[in-house]
Amino acid sequence: MVEKKEIEHLADLVKVDLSEPEKYIKQVEQILNYFDRLDHVEFHSDDTLGIQIAKDDLRDDVHEPYADSLIEHLKKDQNNFIRAPKMV
Amino acid sequence: MTKIGLEIHCQLTKLASKLFCSCKAEYRNTTPNSNICPVCTGIPGSLPLLNKKAVEKAAMISLALGCTIPEKIGFFRKNYFYPDLPKNFQITQYNAYGPTSIGSDGKIEIEGKTIRIRRIQLEEDPGRLVYEGTSEKTMITLVDYNRAGTPLVEIVTEPDFETPKQVRVFLNVLADLVENIGVSDPYLEGAMRVDGNISEGDGNRVEIKNVGSFRDVEKALHFEITRQQSLVERGITVLAETRHWDEARRITVSSRSKEDEQDYRYLPEADIPIVLIGNDSIEQIKTQMPESIVARRERYVKKYGMPAQVADVLSSDRFYSDLFDKSHNETNAKEVSNIITTDLMGVADTREKKLELKITSKHISDLADAIMTNKLTRNSGKSALHEMVKSGKSLADVMSSLDLGHVSDAGSIEKVIDEVFAEEEKAVAEAKQNPDTVNYLVGKVMRKTKGKADPATTLEILRKKLSS
Amino acid sequence: MNLGISATEFVSQVKEGTLSVEEFVAKTLERIQKVDGKIHAFITVDSQNALDKAKAIDKKIKSKDKTGICFGMPISIKDNICTAGLKTTCASKMLENFVAPYDATVTSRLKSEDAIIIGKVNLDEFAMGSTTEFSSFGTTRNPWNTDYVPGGSSGGSGASVAALECLASLGSDTGGSVRSPASFCSVVGLKPTYGLISRYGLVSYANSIEQIGPIAKTVEDIAFLLNIISGHDTHDNTTAKNSNIDYVKDLKSGISGKKIGIILQMTGDGVDKEVASATNAAVSKLQDLGAQCVPVSLDAVEHSVAAYYTIAAAEASSNLSRYDNLRYGFDFGTEGYEFKAFISKARSNFGPEVIRRMLLGAFVLSAGYYGKYYLKAQKVRAMIKAQLDEAFKKVDYLISPTMPILPFKVGEKIDDPLKLYLTDINTVTANLSGIPAISVPFAMSSSGLPIGIQLFANSFKEKELLQAAHALQETTSLPEINL
Repeated sequence: MVEKKEIEHLADLVKVDLSEPEKYIKQVEQILNYFDRLDHVEFHSDDTLGIQIAKDDLRDDVHEPYADSLIEHLKKDQNNFIRAPKMV
Repeated sequence: MTKIGLEIHCQLTKLASKLFCSCKAEYRNTTPNSNICPVCTGIPGSLPLLNKKAVEKAAMISLALGCTIPEKIGFFRKNYFYPDLPKNFQITQYNAYGPTSIGSDGKIEIEGKTIRIRRIQLEEDPGRLVYEGTSEKTMITLVDYNRAGTPLVEIVTEPDFETPKQVRVFLNVLADLVENIGVSDPYLEGAMRVDGNISEGDGNRVEIKNVGSFRDVEKALHFEITRQQSLVERGITVLAETRHWDEARRITVSSRSKEDEQDYRYLPEADIPIVLIGNDSIEQIKTQMPESIVARRERYVKKYGMPAQVADVLSSDRFYSDLFDKSHNETNAKEVSNIITTDLMGVADTREKKLELKITSKHISDLADAIMTNKLTRNSGKSALHEMVKSGKSLADVMSSLDLGHVSDAGSIEKVIDEVFAEEEKAVAEAKQNPDTVNYLVGKVMRKTKGKADPATTLEILRKKLSS
Repeated sequence: MNLGISATEFVSQVKEGTLSVEEFVAKTLERIQKVDGKIHAFITVDSQNALDKAKAIDKKIKSKDKTGICFGMPISIKDNICTAGLKTTCASKMLENFVAPYDATVTSRLKSEDAIIIGKVNLDEFAMGSTTEFSSFGTTRNPWNTDYVPGGSSGGSGASVAALECLASLGSDTGGSVRSPASFCSVVGLKPTYGLISRYGLVSYANSIEQIGPIAKTVEDIAFLLNIISGHDTHDNTTAKNSNIDYVKDLKSGISGKKIGIILQMTGDGVDKEVASATNAAVSKLQDLGAQCVPVSLDAVEHSVAAYYTIAAAEASSNLSRYDNLRYGFDFGTEGYEFKAFISKARSNFGPEVIRRMLLGAFVLSAGYYGKYYLKAQKVRAMIKAQLDEAFKKVDYLISPTMPILPFKVGEKIDDPLKLYLTDINTVTANLSGIPAISVPFAMSSSGLPIGIQLFANSFKEKELLQAAHALQETTSLPEINL
């Protein structure tokens, strides 16, 4: 049973202000109930898919400065800092 | 019974580029947000590209700490929101679903105590926060992403330490180790950061964060032990919490915002495939590992007959042991080691001073040879060394400009001794009475000859004259 | 001037000298002006640059300078793929003002072959949806009947090609988002093997699953575009190192002697009657061409929708964390706020479907639940791939209707998210397993609504897949758009 508190907790985890958390209760619950069918799957193997890369195919440790001045494209202040509200 | 565990973050400062992009790994002394690209700032659509050498260097640290390196390593996302995290998650490693980090289950001996290493993981450093005004009053934090993405190795120990001193010794050993392997310069500002957790007896664990230097770590732990013990004595339960070290007041303070109790919702980082390291690779990395400090010390003692203390000091400093290796030949090894450990290390003991040294291996080799062939006394040698360090001039130049030369002929020495006898009647009388005080007169002769007089000859002649 | 020609026909005509690029692009822009008010496929139209580029290409051709193989072909790009200097909004208020500082790899590969990026097209916000109704900038309409949805999430891609507003489009497919609009808009849409096409510059939604895919009028066009945009990229470590395959060569080699498996779980109850009979007709036609069609059972398909949405939601909840409006985004000042309050307020500008998926994602990843949902969903993926590998030992291709239902009216399913999720039952299998799948327009319903047929092949067998798709395409002739 999904309650309003649960929705508010999830909204806090993903940092989204919900003016009406109740509106999400029914649908989230319905979908989670649908996900619960995964409990009844009979697995014959613990395998999961995943691609692999050999260590030697990884990027070489070379400094290559980015060809553009990226900060010019972002919301910067006059000293090229990004301003963020302080976390309390 | 005190139990202390450590979490150390060590930057891989010797890499050229960041962990997931080609921006420079060295971010110090850069103007704000000038060392960034779409990847390290998490611009939409950007993808991380793992640095091959970071994996190799982290593997070396794992090997040096006796850890197991898995054949395949993987990366995870640790999700939380903070102004210094451009993606609001950190790409790191995580072993809760299997040993996929670069190292686990290692150990190291510190003063006879075994410290177990729980795990070693590769992860990215966040950006840096600067506060507008004082950090208490201001509402704005200024973010600089130059450091975001810098490669870090996190080393987590089991709570095997029993005293703060053991911790300090361990940290010094670890610093020497990473410097010796060539992965990090641990004395750069911010290159090695330590968090500790500490509990007394059956009590709760307290985490201590934000400790600046190794010395402060020892102090903070001492304070915390005292704090916890006094609570226990008064029958008060020690709270399980996070505290930070207040440098100004030299105390630990309960943190207002807690990073613990956060739900990080770890999931695999799908943009980085599982990396196959493979046993061949690990063997190759083993062969590339530089000689360990322990092995080097043994080599110094066995091959060169260095006294244990000299070997200890020399082997634990990468800069000077490299210099030794380059400077000595078959005959002058002991003298070279002497020069370095007795004279040079005292002159240039900090990182900055080492970098400023104008002296080369040739200087030292020449100096050692000159002393061994009696062209210079050891005293003169000291002066010559100081001059060479400052000016970088060759030994020959320095010897002539400072008029340093070995005076060993009995005739010239006798003349100087006669001068001294004339000037120091009182001392002479005392020396005749008490032969042990002859060193004062030797000193005078040395000063008059600017250290050039051969000490053995001087002493011989002095004794003869005194006894006559 | 016939805007209804295929992309490859365009290239021939330009090369022959019978078509001016500038004229064609100008006509295309006129067309967009004329119909996009009704279709709303475009978020951004880059008219001036498009015309300038067209003129430059005509000039190159005239002076016999080397010209890229696209010869000025006008292409639209889904607005979740980065195009330097143009807004890349992902149809979200969170990126309302975001101008991409770099080109996605696919964008730069197209540009180096002298394609013209005519504009950015609409999608469900952050590619989360099946109808394009979740765009924060208005719904795109199906050009065949503007009361109906165009499919999604790449609805703008499907509609812009179908409505002759461009010759081809790049979309992205995470759970069917290229194939669904292709089917609903009667055009061809390919979801390639995971790792065939670089994701560098594709704004992440579910990064272990999604792929950029081309949408065009013909299979020939798809093969042509695939040659340009596919292949290993040093910017994307998830791209495969495969040899340079020419998808255009031998495209018409046919399907005789091949075996095709009809997926039982995608062709049973729950499939609309007209869709079912179109599927049967397609099977029949393929048999006439010499293919052997047999039923195939993949029971893991039953778990595929639950597994897909579990993984997609989980990855979305993490991939979208970066949108805090501090570095880029939209106009909303930080003054007076505390950090958590600021970002939570800024992030309340996500649309309801995106929020729903982030909540679900946070749930399935939260402490203690990883083994129950996410891990099981990953095991389902492996199970599906294992069953597919078994099937591909006996058949060369698999077939199903792309969508189990006909296009439906705008607003019809928007209040029932789970019902909408279930319409993905035929498409998510290819995403979860990574194998390629293509939707080929096959028929029109009695009410004039498009029906597409889906073909699958095993991983990295796009060349063979396109040959089968081409064979299927040749068995049918479809009406021209009446817009």
